[in-house]
Amino acid sequence: MDGSPALLAARAEPGSFRDPGNRVFYVGSRVYRGLAPRAAANWEALRGSAFFPGLLAAGKICGTEPAEPGTVPAAEAGRWAAVLRHERIPFVSYPYEWSFTMLRDAALTHLEVLTEALADGFTTSDGSAYNVQWRGAEPVFVDVGSFEPARDGEPWAGYRQFCQTLLYPLMLQAHLGLDFQPWLRARVDGIEPGQIRRLFGGTRRFSAGALKHIHLHDALQTRHGATGTGEVRAELRAAGFSRDLVLATVRGLERLVRRLDWQPPASHWSRYGRSCGYSAEDRRRKERFVADALAGTGGCRLVLDLGANDGAYARVAARHAEQVVAVEADPTVADQLYRRLRADGERRVLPLVMDLADPSPGGGWRAVERAPFAARARADAVLALAVVHHLAIGRDVPLAEVVDWLLGPLDGAGRRGRLVVEFVHPEDPMARRLLANKPAGQFPGYRREEFERLLDARCVAVRREELACGTRTLYAGTPRG
Amino acid sequence: MHLAYLDAGSGSMIVQAVVGGAAGVAVAAKLYWRRLRARLRRQPGDRD
Repeated sequence: MDGSPALLAARAEPGSFRDPGNRVFYVGSRVYRGLAPRAAANWEALRGSAFFPGLLAAGKICGTEPAEPGTVPAAEAGRWAAVLRHERIPFVSYPYEWSFTMLRDAALTHLEVLTEALADGFTTSDGSAYNVQWRGAEPVFVDVGSFEPARDGEPWAGYRQFCQTLLYPLMLQAHLGLDFQPWLRARVDGIEPGQIRRLFGGTRRFSAGALKHIHLHDALQTRHGATGTGEVRAELRAAGFSRDLVLATVRGLERLVRRLDWQPPASHWSRYGRSCGYSAEDRRRKERFVADALAGTGGCRLVLDLGANDGAYARVAARHAEQVVAVEADPTVADQLYRRLRADGERRVLPLVMDLADPSPGGGWRAVERAPFAARARADAVLALAVVHHLAIGRDVPLAEVVDWLLGPLDGAGRRGRLVVEFVHPEDPMARRLLANKPAGQFPGYRREEFERLLDARCVAVRREELACGTRTLYAGTPRG
Repeated sequence: MHLAYLDAGSGSMIVQAVVGGAAGVAVAAKLYWRRLRARLRRQPGDRD
């Protein structure tokens, strides 16, 4: 329960500080944005514009309205010229957790919003991938504070940021076949022109977009980096830089982004759903087990499907949840899941790319600008189907730690919390394959009895079901208070 | 004059003229021509 928002303390969003003109803060579960005088004037212009209401109604921009008087704590209300209230994004995620097609759709969403804004005399003051979030598999532009009236004769201020956080990561994957996620995770400002230029030497400089957006961009930035941007703005204006040129640049970027494609290699995991030995009967049993376990909760706000693979159980969970975050370590599998969810118009499942044994840490300024996965993952239910053996055997994580970690996201869920977990017996062909790569006798504790002891010590009302294959067992339980 | 909070990068602004097509190349050429002319005009004075 929120109580009366006006009486609650506001909590600043740690990632919202770069633009001093506006700042996001939370009151309970509500999301607000405080606007300084100039940003408030921009908002008034934006409300009256032709493009903004249309994009808002189409769901391309996150829901935004003036905050109702009396709902904002006095300290915040007195600090800002105006306060907006935003729609709450179900789960905040970051570009280094997205698949290739997700990042491309985020780039296209940003460009589409910018194109409509430019046609109506507005622009965006930045061009970051972090301006986009998701409702399920649907991208949504969230940085309403970045809209401002365009000034004649000025290039797009967000171009460099767009290159560093969207275009270059896409080119890295499309042209070189390198996963972009580790690059974005390591650098909050993305990949710099001088870094990526070294990867596009030789004939690679003729890859789509490389000559202009990488080589020329880096050369000019190296040559003119010391010149003040105010001076260059004035020079460009005097030389006849026009708004049409900004539009031409943005259209060119859109054409380039649409051309960037990545055909993933046939990976082991994309065949997993068919090859891991589940019979149709066992898949049906698992689906029914998940549905029964979640039906008892009376509806979940957030479900985490850890090790989502093809997303079959995430889709089952979505019938009982507002949002399911389907976490998959293999970028290929996650990308295929995203494409299917988009094709189906599914708005309740968000696929993410993340290695469960190496989840996203905190990043950026003071390591809080981008929150670690664990801080964002407060769920009502956790699904961990066919994943425990990969962590306990494949990644050597002690079994007790795996169980504790699976229950971590349910800390605040109380009696509504549900853990649905599958234990693959050591005799199962998949477990044997993993064990075969390890020294004999390294995992004496990896036994069904030990797993049940750990689960019973931490959960109540544990329900179990044997799968027909005879070497896998499903459990559903509620964490002890 | 109001400046954006973000450092847009001087080179990143100039390159946008070139990626914007033929009209943009003309703008970039004009910018460099003006710079060259300004430098040539300054030089005799510098030598004195």
